[in-house]
Amino acid sequence: MTATTTRERLGALASTPLVWGLVAIVVLLAINSLRDPGYLGVELAASGRLTGNPIDILRTAAPLLMIALGMTLVVATGGIDLSVGSAMVIGGAVSMEMLQAGDGSVGSAMAALGVALLITAVLGAINGVLVAFVGLQPFITTLVTMLAGRGLAKVITEGQNTSASNEAFRWIANGTVLGAPVVFLIALAILVVVVVLVRTTALGMLIESIGIDPKASRMAGVDRRSLLVAVYVISGVLGGVAGVFATGSVMTVDVSNTGLLLELDAILAVVVGGTALTGGRFSLAGAAIGALLIATLDKTVVFLGVSSAATPAFKAVVIVALCLLQSATIRERLSRVRLRAPRREVTA
Amino acid sequence: MFKKHIVRAVATAAVVFGGIGLAGCSAGGDGGGAEGDLVTVGFVAVGPEGAWREANEANIQDTFTEDAGYDLRYAPATNLDQQSQIDAFTSFVDEGVDVILLSATEGSGWEASLERAQEAEIPVILIDRGIEPNDDSLYATRIAPDNMVVSESVAEWAVSAFPEGANYFVLEGPAGVSVVNERNEGFQSVIGEEDAFVSLGAQTANWSTEEARSVMETVLQANDNDVQFVFAQNDEMGLGAVQAVEAAGLTPGVDVQIATIDGTRPALEALAAGQLSFVAEYNPLFGETALEAVETVLDGGEVDSYIIVPSETFDSPEAAEAALPDRQF
Repeated sequence: MTATTTRERLGALASTPLVWGLVAIVVLLAINSLRDPGYLGVELAASGRLTGNPIDILRTAAPLLMIALGMTLVVATGGIDLSVGSAMVIGGAVSMEMLQAGDGSVGSAMAALGVALLITAVLGAINGVLVAFVGLQPFITTLVTMLAGRGLAKVITEGQNTSASNEAFRWIANGTVLGAPVVFLIALAILVVVVVLVRTTALGMLIESIGIDPKASRMAGVDRRSLLVAVYVISGVLGGVAGVFATGSVMTVDVSNTGLLLELDAILAVVVGGTALTGGRFSLAGAAIGALLIATLDKTVVFLGVSSAATPAFKAVVIVALCLLQSATIRERLSRVRLRAPRREVTA
Repeated sequence: MFKKHIVRAVATAAVVFGGIGLAGCSAGGDGGGAEGDLVTVGFVAVGPEGAWREANEANIQDTFTEDAGYDLRYAPATNLDQQSQIDAFTSFVDEGVDVILLSATEGSGWEASLERAQEAEIPVILIDRGIEPNDDSLYATRIAPDNMVVSESVAEWAVSAFPEGANYFVLEGPAGVSVVNERNEGFQSVIGEEDAFVSLGAQTANWSTEEARSVMETVLQANDNDVQFVFAQNDEMGLGAVQAVEAAGLTPGVDVQIATIDGTRPALEALAAGQLSFVAEYNPLFGETALEAVETVLDGGEVDSYIIVPSETFDSPEAAEAALPDRQF
């Protein structure tokens, strides 16, 4: 009796995509620990900050977590936002230009942050209006803003990789509170705010309804257009936050590289987290796990010393393996094989 | 309905790209027909890529002026896209410019375009980037600093700076790019002979400060900070490595010495501040050399198939400070 219930529970757990993301993270961490048993060690350095690989992973994951959150909401409406990487570079370019012109005070850091987020909100709003009111396809719309956005960033910095110095701004990406990296705490706080906003109100359900059937949701009285604009604005602003995180860590915006191709990582994080690209049901926690997984993967590649040429292939193998495990069809086949095999493998 | 969507999307795209395109063209002279006795030069360029490229292209534009007797048509690539370069190249051939300068974003795939130029009897001069396979019958000459020589100078400095040897790590550009291969080859040809130098590996950071910092922090963790020497294949990555070393509680220049290639102003400032230990210039300012080559070629003279631009190296804060006041890039 208990055996079946355990098995059922395991089965239910295995069909949650989020779990496989966690499993993949654990496996990667285990591989790294095999290479160096002290891999997971976290130390309190003399400067009062925690150091260690897990801390580095959290810091790396922060920008990705931001764009993955925005992407999840957009994908849930049945859309896609390819412009998040460009929102990052615009956010970074605007803040670096403002900081370079500023006086290095906390005030100028706040101003830079404010203007950067405002401009990325406008970028998101352009996406939203084009999708919701003009009726363009999200893919085309955000593809255009993706290309134009990077162009705009180049115009803002006149093609230069602008650097600046501002202690307050730098603290956002490099500082610590009680030893923990500020950048991850902020990311976590934003995650919690978005989850509370979406899940404790009807907002999440309304977003899902648009993704499942736009017509039916409109007939049921859902204000589809405003919601779409809001979702794209949120994605734009979160892209801006990610850009601030990314450029703040080195206090330089690299107009041709900052945020480049990160829209793909964000989509990956969303899919790994169990949100279907066709829209509808979505998982914010899943996207967060997905972002952590990609950060862990990036760090693992360097830690294991995988050569530059083999890096993309290594990542692809891990992601493909994960997607196969998440597939119900494949799991069913595997469990049939397992049934024929001796019982001890039940817990596998 | 669907058709309408596409029409709208294309219209939007046309407006956006048209705007960018126009902005790009405005630098390229008045774009009309032949300007009387001015020599027309088509410059198929890379466009915004970083400080080095900007210095290089600005220098070319400042050299081929109307006062010097040239009408330079500047055509930067759209988002580093090779197809846009091939299009620009083809239209220069069709226009019948007198000479074409080419900085290819990609080394391969230029044979057909170069053959067309040859049929039209338009000499082509490669600026910086070479082509692959390197068939020098297809172009008049290539003018560039030599990556092999520059990266050898980094390795030679390392050998003299670490008489007892060192554990070193290499931050590379994107895998497969010819610059990266050449810089690796030159570096390894010297350092590979030194048994006292132990390689801790190499990883790409895509020329980016941010990625270099992230890669370097993990490398330091993986080796318990036992890294003495970092070779960053460009300045930006070197500056990222500096930040990672500082974040790990070490002192760059003392605990970890970092050498970079390019010699841009931020790198020389970092060298002057003691954060970097060695900067090898990859000299972008060779407009004058290009001008001489163009004149020789147009007069029917012969030029070498490869003209190496001499580059300097900076190995101390004093050398950097001396060079900083008139650094143009």
